[in-house]
Amino acid sequence: MAIMALPAFLQGSTELSVTGPKVVTSFRIFGLTINLTETVLLEWIVMAVIIGLSIFLTRGLKVKAVSKRQVIAEMAVEAITNLVSDTMGKRWLAFTPYIATVFCFSIFGSLISLLGFRAVTSDFSVLLTWALMTFILITATKIRFGGVGGYLKGFAEPIPVMLPINILSEIATPTAMALRHFGNIAGGSIIMGLIYFGLTGLSHMLHLQVPVLTIGIPAVLSLYFDLFSDFMQAFIFIMLTMVFISNAGPADDEATSAA
Amino acid sequence: MKLGFFSIDLGTILFSWINLMILFFALKHFLFKPVQKILSERQAAVDRTLQDAEDARTRAEAAETEYTEKLAKAKEESAEMLRSATRKAQQRSDEIVAGAKAEAAGILQQNREELEREKRRAESQLRSDVSELAVLVAEKVVGREINQNDHARLIDEFIDSVGDVQ
Repeated sequence: MAIMALPAFLQGSTELSVTGPKVVTSFRIFGLTINLTETVLLEWIVMAVIIGLSIFLTRGLKVKAVSKRQVIAEMAVEAITNLVSDTMGKRWLAFTPYIATVFCFSIFGSLISLLGFRAVTSDFSVLLTWALMTFILITATKIRFGGVGGYLKGFAEPIPVMLPINILSEIATPTAMALRHFGNIAGGSIIMGLIYFGLTGLSHMLHLQVPVLTIGIPAVLSLYFDLFSDFMQAFIFIMLTMVFISNAGPADDEATSAA
Repeated sequence: MKLGFFSIDLGTILFSWINLMILFFALKHFLFKPVQKILSERQAAVDRTLQDAEDARTRAEAAETEYTEKLAKAKEESAEMLRSATRKAQQRSDEIVAGAKAEAAGILQQNREELEREKRRAESQLRSDVSELAVLVAEKVVGREINQNDHARLIDEFIDSVGDVQ
C-alpha cells in the first residue's frame, strides 16, 4: 500500500496479514482435492538440510582418531539415545530414531522462519500429523501389550461410567499436543510480525524514511519468540510423545518378568 | 491462493506424514546406523583392551607368585647347602683333629714304650755289669775263683736288698 521511492525491502513491514500457507498446486485424486502447499516445499528443504547434515557428519567414520564432525554426530546420537533411555527406559530404545526425527523436524522446521520463510510448524496440519503419529504409536503400544480386548477394556476403567471421559482424554492427547506446538510457534510469529509492523509505524511517526527502529530491537525479542520457543516446543513435543508411549506399555518390572 | 491461518488440510497431512516417514528412515539409515555401528565397534575395542589388560594382569600375578615361590625355594636350597657344607666341614675337621690326636697319642705311646724298653735294657745291662764286677771284686777279695753261676744268685739278692734302681 505505501507508495514510496524506497525499494520494498527498506520500507519495513507496511502491512500486517495473518494468513495460512500458499497453495502451490492442487490436484484431484478420487474426488479429493489434494493441495501441495508452501509448507510441504519448506518441509522438503528442511529434510534436505537434515539429511545432508547427517550424511556430512557421518562421512568417514572411524573407531580411533575421530574428526570433529564425527564427534558432533556421536554426541548428537548419544544425547538423544540417553534422553530416550532416561525418559522411556532401555527397552524403548528402538524409538530413538523416530524421536530424533520429530525433534529435528520441529527444530529446523521452526528455525527456518529465521531465514524469512514461514515456519513449517506454524501450519496446524503438520503438527496434527505428528500428533496423530504419536496417537497411533500410543494405541499400537497399548494393543501390543494388552491385545485388542485389553485396549478396548481400558476405556471402561476404572468404572464403565468413565467411558466418555476416557474417549475424550484419548482424543485430547494428540489434539492438545498439536495445538500447544502450533499455538506457540504461530503465536510467536504473529507477535514478531506485530512488533515489526509496530516498529515500522513508530519509525514513520518519527519521520524516519527508513524504519531504523526495526534494526536490533526485534532480534532481542526473537531470541525468545523464535529460538527459545522453538527449542522448548520441540523438546516438549518429544517429551510428551515419549512419556505417553512408554506409559501405554506395562511398567518396567512387569515387562522384565514377562520376558 | 492461500489457506486459512488455522486450517486442517488433507494434502498437507498426507505429504507431512510421508515426509516424516522419509526423514525417519533417512535419519535411521544415514545417521543412527553408521554412528551406532562405530560406537559399538569402539565399545568392543574398549572391552577387548580391558580384557587384554585383565589377562596381562592375571599372567603377571601368576608369574610373580611363581617367581616368589622359586626364589623362596632357591633361598631354602642355598641355606640347606650352606648347612650341609658347614656340617660336612665340621665333621671333617672333627675327624682330622681326632686323627691327629690319635696319631699324637700313638706316637707318644710308642716313645714311652721305647723308653721303657731302653730303660729295662739299661737296667739288665747294669745288673749284669754289677754282678760281674761283684764277682771280680769278690775274687780279688777272696782270692779264689768263685763260680760265677753260684754267686750270680747271691748278687741278685744283694741288689734286691739294696733296692730297686730308681
